[in-house]
Amino acid sequence: MVKRSEKAKTMRKIIKAIWIFNWFNSCGFAELVPLVGSRWDMERFGMIIVGTPRHADVLFIAGYQTHKSIERAKRVYEQMAEPRVVIALGSCTMTGGMYWDSYNTIKKLDDYLPVTMYIPGCPPRPEAVFEACEKIFEHVKELE
Amino acid sequence: MIKEMEPAPKGSEYDFYFGPAHPGSGNFGVKLKLEGEVVVSARADPGYLHRGFEKLMEYRTPLQNAVLSDRLCILEPLNWNLIHAEAVDELMGIDIPERAKYIRVIMAELSRIQSHIIWYGVFSKGVGFDTGFKLAFGYRDYIMDLFELITGGRVYPAGYICPGGVRRDFPKDTKKKILKVLDKMNKIIKLEELENPAMNARAKGVGILKLKDAIRLGATGPVIRGSGMNTDVRKEEPYEIYDRLDFEVPIRKEGDAYARYWIGIEEMKQSINIVKQALEELPDGEVIDSSLKKPKLTTKIPEGEVYVRNEISRGEAGIYMVSNGEVSPYRTKVRGPDFLHMIPVLEYLLKGVQIADVPAVYWSLNICPADMDR
Amino acid sequence: MDKKESEFLKKIKTKFKIDGKVQRDRRIWISITDDKLIEICKWMKENGFVHLSAISVTDWLKDGNYELTYHLWSYDDKILVTIKTRINRNKPNIESVTPIWEKNAQIHERELHELFGVNFNGNEDLVPLFLENWKGPAPFRKDFDWRDFVRDEFYDKKNEREQVYYD
Repeated sequence: MVKRSEKAKTMRKIIKAIWIFNWFNSCGFAELVPLVGSRWDMERFGMIIVGTPRHADVLFIAGYQTHKSIERAKRVYEQMAEPRVVIALGSCTMTGGMYWDSYNTIKKLDDYLPVTMYIPGCPPRPEAVFEACEKIFEHVKELE
Repeated sequence: MIKEMEPAPKGSEYDFYFGPAHPGSGNFGVKLKLEGEVVVSARADPGYLHRGFEKLMEYRTPLQNAVLSDRLCILEPLNWNLIHAEAVDELMGIDIPERAKYIRVIMAELSRIQSHIIWYGVFSKGVGFDTGFKLAFGYRDYIMDLFELITGGRVYPAGYICPGGVRRDFPKDTKKKILKVLDKMNKIIKLEELENPAMNARAKGVGILKLKDAIRLGATGPVIRGSGMNTDVRKEEPYEIYDRLDFEVPIRKEGDAYARYWIGIEEMKQSINIVKQALEELPDGEVIDSSLKKPKLTTKIPEGEVYVRNEISRGEAGIYMVSNGEVSPYRTKVRGPDFLHMIPVLEYLLKGVQIADVPAVYWSLNICPADMDR
Repeated sequence: MDKKESEFLKKIKTKFKIDGKVQRDRRIWISITDDKLIEICKWMKENGFVHLSAISVTDWLKDGNYELTYHLWSYDDKILVTIKTRINRNKPNIESVTPIWEKNAQIHERELHELFGVNFNGNEDLVPLFLENWKGPAPFRKDFDWRDFVRDEFYDKKNEREQVYYD
């Protein structure tokens, strides 16, 4: 029998179906919204889009962020209730990506928000997003 | 007897921020001042996606810019690819081969169909018809598969339409596959043509834009065609092979949200017609000009300046490019249709509208915030 | 092909004293001094050029001036006329065309004021459009190098993985 902390026990009970907050950025709009459509139907895995950060478990930061929009993303993150997870999509969140020499975009998301998982690609395919969600379930099961 | 509601008392205005974290808007914020349920004034708040595109293009060569130009607006990358390639072609004085012109038009029209499907899906969601949203994004994936077959990328085609022609030829059996996909598009058009009570109640008579206001505020594309003006850049100054093709330009006179939505559906039918004609007449030959087949990083652009205009699915797009003989352009100015639609036209249309109708007016203008901020 | 454009160019040249040329069909480019701008723009609007397509600024660092270009389209004649004029780069001041093209011109001028620092006399609403709390110089000027700025501000030279950005 493995001894788990209180936090791990709560996470195992709650994170069985992920509720995602409706924050579709630039590149996320064309690659995350088809997940809601009828081809890559994400509702069969239990994932739905919610309208307020208080109900959400996961915040997808998809694509590049500017100084103006990272302030709003931080406020949304602070309003989410524990346990919460941040997933970063695309290469612009890792090193700056294609706009590395722009004066207004931020280069590494890790300096601003605690990121749990990065998904590479420009933009990543929908199958990659599903695989990332599956890894989160496994990670939660083995948490101490 | 039910008594009529009295209007809200004077001096009871409050502020409401219809911003990026709201489920009904995109990456764009509008500051509304409301009195009761009626909007008194609106002020647009852009800048969430500003990267400074025009100066980024000064650090890169034309071939690198071709890859960057599809990220100007994610919802229709191939149309922006096309206008950038046309600007560089005209500066360099290149005449591209015939087969390349036909392929460019086929890809641009497929991108226009895909962009109008997104418009239909998002407008239905704003109005309350959720089935339309889910089905639209399901049908759009047929076109995404076609793009992956031809260009290599689902969303971003990695500069497929480059200066000199197109990057590579169609693979085998592409013509059969395109015709099959166009038949499927007819099914979603039939769904959109149904007289839907949700659409009638929420879109008819809402957000009316008269013709002289549209000209004064700088509207172009479906927005000004919904108010009665017969204008389309493909007919006024034809580029590529549009002067050899036979198509119509749909126009309505009412100027409300329903008229603009109807024009989107009719334009999809015309685009399907254009692709079929172009596929039949597709000639054989090379697809890229021989001087740019193996591009070098040291090819210089001759001195000069050009202004190119195209009709993308949202309106009139323009690129003004200046070169002084170096490897990169000296200045590129990108004129997008959404810069005018989202700031002056939206602020004018939202006055006097009930708060529940704000998403219907907002999404009927077919906006793309990335195009506005650049 | 170019007959209509040459006739129109002759009409402008007899009315005002300017330089101009016809580049190809549907494109006319004319250069003027900045004191004649309002007069010529009013005349153009009365003669069918109701649509202002774009206003742009090019920064000629070596010559020491900014070149402003106004691109006008006529729905009746189907011609695009570009008006070019030059102003001083260190004190960029020019009259605003908002009395002629109203909100369409106002939003273009607001963007150019933020990105290049041009002052348009007569435009009341020149507040920042895209940027919040930006304290540096006007971003699109040629003497502000973005690559140096980004290397100082965001990247770390001592980090091995970021050495690529310093080549």
